[in-house]
Amino acid sequence: MSLLDLKLLRDLRALKSQALAVALVMACGLAMMIMTRSLILSLDTARTGYYERHRFAEVFSSLKRAPKSVVAQIAAIPGVAAVEASVAMQVTLDIPGMVEPATGLINTLPERRAPVLNRPYLRTGRLLGSGGRNEALVSEVFSDAHKLRPGDSVSAILNGRKTELRIVGIVLSPQFVFEAAPGAALPDNRSFGFFWMREEELAEAFSLEGAFNTVALILAPGASERGVIAAVDRVLEPYGGLGAHGRKDHPSDVRVTDEIRVLRGLSFGFPLVFLSVAAFMTNAVMSRQIALQREQIAILKAFGFTNRQIGAHFVKFALVIVAVGTVTGVIGGALLGNKLVEMYHIFFRFPALDFKLATGALLAAVLASSAAALVGVIGAVRRVAALSPAEAMRPEPPASFRPAFFERIGIARWFGVSFRMSLRNIERKPVHAVLTCAALALATGILVIPNSFRDGINHILNFQWDVSQRQTVTLSLVEPGPLRALADFRALPGVVHAEPFRSVPVELRAGNRTRRLGVSGIPSGSHLARVIDANDRRILLPPHGVVLSKALGDNLELKPGDTVILRVLEGKRPERSVPVAALAEDFAGIAAYMDMEALNRLLGEGDRINGARMTVAGGSWNEFLAAVKNTPQSAGVVIKEAVRASFRRTTAESIGLIQMIYLTFATAVAFGIVYNSARISLSERARELATLRVLGFTRGEVGSVLVGELVILTIIALPAGLVLGSFMAKAILVSVNTETVRLPLILTPANYAFAVLVVAVATALSAALACRKLNQLDLVGALKAVD
Amino acid sequence: MNPPDTTSTAGQPASAEAVFRVRNLGKVYGSGHAAVRALAGVDLDFCAGELVVLLGASGSGKSTLLNLLGGLDSPTEGDLHYRGWNLGHADESSLTRYRRDAVGFVFQFYNLIPSLTARENVALITEIARNPMPPEEALAMVGLTPRADHFPAQLSGGEQQRVAIARAIAKRPEVLLCDEPTGALDVHTGITVLEAIQRINRELGTLTVVITHNAVIAEMADRVFTLSDGRIQKSGTNTRRRSVSELTW
Repeated sequence: MSLLDLKLLRDLRALKSQALAVALVMACGLAMMIMTRSLILSLDTARTGYYERHRFAEVFSSLKRAPKSVVAQIAAIPGVAAVEASVAMQVTLDIPGMVEPATGLINTLPERRAPVLNRPYLRTGRLLGSGGRNEALVSEVFSDAHKLRPGDSVSAILNGRKTELRIVGIVLSPQFVFEAAPGAALPDNRSFGFFWMREEELAEAFSLEGAFNTVALILAPGASERGVIAAVDRVLEPYGGLGAHGRKDHPSDVRVTDEIRVLRGLSFGFPLVFLSVAAFMTNAVMSRQIALQREQIAILKAFGFTNRQIGAHFVKFALVIVAVGTVTGVIGGALLGNKLVEMYHIFFRFPALDFKLATGALLAAVLASSAAALVGVIGAVRRVAALSPAEAMRPEPPASFRPAFFERIGIARWFGVSFRMSLRNIERKPVHAVLTCAALALATGILVIPNSFRDGINHILNFQWDVSQRQTVTLSLVEPGPLRALADFRALPGVVHAEPFRSVPVELRAGNRTRRLGVSGIPSGSHLARVIDANDRRILLPPHGVVLSKALGDNLELKPGDTVILRVLEGKRPERSVPVAALAEDFAGIAAYMDMEALNRLLGEGDRINGARMTVAGGSWNEFLAAVKNTPQSAGVVIKEAVRASFRRTTAESIGLIQMIYLTFATAVAFGIVYNSARISLSERARELATLRVLGFTRGEVGSVLVGELVILTIIALPAGLVLGSFMAKAILVSVNTETVRLPLILTPANYAFAVLVVAVATALSAALACRKLNQLDLVGALKAVD
Repeated sequence: MNPPDTTSTAGQPASAEAVFRVRNLGKVYGSGHAAVRALAGVDLDFCAGELVVLLGASGSGKSTLLNLLGGLDSPTEGDLHYRGWNLGHADESSLTRYRRDAVGFVFQFYNLIPSLTARENVALITEIARNPMPPEEALAMVGLTPRADHFPAQLSGGEQQRVAIARAIAKRPEVLLCDEPTGALDVHTGITVLEAIQRINRELGTLTVVITHNAVIAEMADRVFTLSDGRIQKSGTNTRRRSVSELTW
């Protein structure tokens, strides 16, 4: 080992806590980068492999019913490589140990052959046997929620007939990596689950023998998805086709894609900011180190060491910090990634979702952090090169100061002496002050983000279920029924109020833009379902015209007063030009609302309903639920509180974990920057502070002079950080928000207070830690040294 | 135990009783083989209003003695009493109180706070002292009224040292300890600084201890002690204190 390297090791030992603080901030940036890139790799690899092995379809369509012969027509469409037609029915379930009814979507598997597409993955138990009666497979998420095992039974109402389904296997399906009820933005794994039965059995129960109501297909290589979708729509139109769509509109796949997109955004912005802060800190530490070693450098130069050798010595110093930061960052990133992969298991079900360390990202991380450190060290090294040995051996001239801006404008008399010292120090090194402030603001800002997500979700929950949807429970019918069915709902025990609703699949067309969705018919003057505008005011549904959700309006480029072509996709399939009456505010999916009577008029099928929203008296709740479980015509039950509770459970866990990660990062940055600044300040001002101690200032008083500057910068940084955090939260929401879920930006005083508190505490603790070094100040030595 | 309250009042010379009583004082740095004896068997008394000069070469122990008197360090043996209070066994916070209330320091390298003006450097001390004089008065005593609003970097060495003296005396200390106050200055500037010290000693009656290796300076003192190898080699009393203006080196 060369003597310069030995010097490096000893210098590092002397500077270990500061070097560690820099490495810590660097590690945070790298951990974030490695974590996100690895998660992207893990999700992407798991998804691709799963889809390939289990033949996940590429185009999907639902329809009313079509004979099996139509399958051949679809297979004959040019570009179609394989077709799988099946039956899917939504049913009400009675789960042992669950008071309220649940809803199941039962899919079918072909008889006597393995499915060509969307093959389920068997987790435990066995697949369906041929000829076995009432056998069912259940999705893992639902079975987990209810602790269902092969051999257990659940009751289902199949077309009005209560049937005991015997679970023989627990499965996953590439169709339901993300499990939520069709049309629901939020998952509720207790109240909703997917099941599979033999095709003949389910078809028979619903009188669909020899027919199918859902179809999936895979494209031949090079085939045009759009062309095939159009052709499938043409084939299925006479059979009540609801419009085919590709994978990019598949509700489960969309969620995985969205998650990857969010991770991509996070994998770039945050690491960049953290590494910039680390570069700044490296520069501060190295600059001070070089200033302290001015004379040593001069002697080395006088003895004939070249600038390159001395420069390399200091670059090595920075690279050791990078090495520590990288190792910590990679380990941290891998640990956090592993933890998040576990969390993803709540939302995404793959046969195996293993954490895969993104080695490419690892390499990029090493390069990025080395570059950050080199950027930090380069200016300092350049100063070394510029020093002439003779000049370097002389002490640096005393720092020159001038009255601070606040004094020049004449308000100095309000400030004490130590406050003025701090102001002048800040003004003497504006770049340092701005960067320290920026780093502290960043620490504050990143704390605002997870809480704003939590508050946004709470806002949605409140809006969705307290403002907009005020029913206790929603019951839907298997088939649209006459208005008089409402009387049966009203007769259920404990029902206080019941309102019917109508829901019809339609295609909306404006110019060359089209969207397919269900239009909701709501009775005029509804108390339970209310459509709200952007100003939180209720929109009264007009007797003519349609109200669109803002997302749908934006998508179709429609505003109130415009007209839209509405084509109904079932029944007589009427097509009408309808005025857009208003745009409604909502946070999930796309929606269109009409007055129920107006909708029924347009359909021309008389007064029909798809179900009812109800409020139920608390005292009769159990009787009500028991009755609903045995209501034959009920196809689905949605209990507001159950959905809300389930959602809270899962989101609370994920938000909690993300909050912990951000909290760690913010604390690391706040600690790193404050501790380092205080230590550098202590080193630069040791003589000054020792003088104050000699003159009779107590440790506390000298400590306040030392950290006064940091306190001022922190006070400036905190509000700036709140503003920064609000913008970051907004920017992330914009990148995260999709048509599926739109989180509103909700910023509460509690959120801000939390961020301020964490940074203030981290600042105070690290300043206190640095102040402990004041005890080691050599009073006599500092007075003798010229600096 | 806390230091006694001994703040003197301007214009009233303190009585000639002993301010410091030093018996068999010793200081050893380090231990075992690395032990270095810096001071040994020192006996002396310093009285109020005296101007004492400690002479000696580098390493003679004069700075160690000054540090012990100033409460910057504690002795390893012997007794050190300040106005009857055992300074040698005081704890850290009592020493801070003592330095704050009773002692004024002047250092070779001035040790001004670069971010404060001359006036503020003095005000820094008057803010924490119990019975200070206005900073302007202290600066006037060292002849620096016109330079009061300048920062240290804008002052000459002699001016900086005079600010340091003003800072030291603004609290009306009982004791003024000066460690090589002219060590970094040329003759002319050194004289102005010594004049300021002499004036303070005469007008405020402050016990003043000056350490120097410049024997000429000893002529302005009441008493002179010469140290060598950590011991008092020689002590003497000047029958006539010479005025600083008569000195030259």
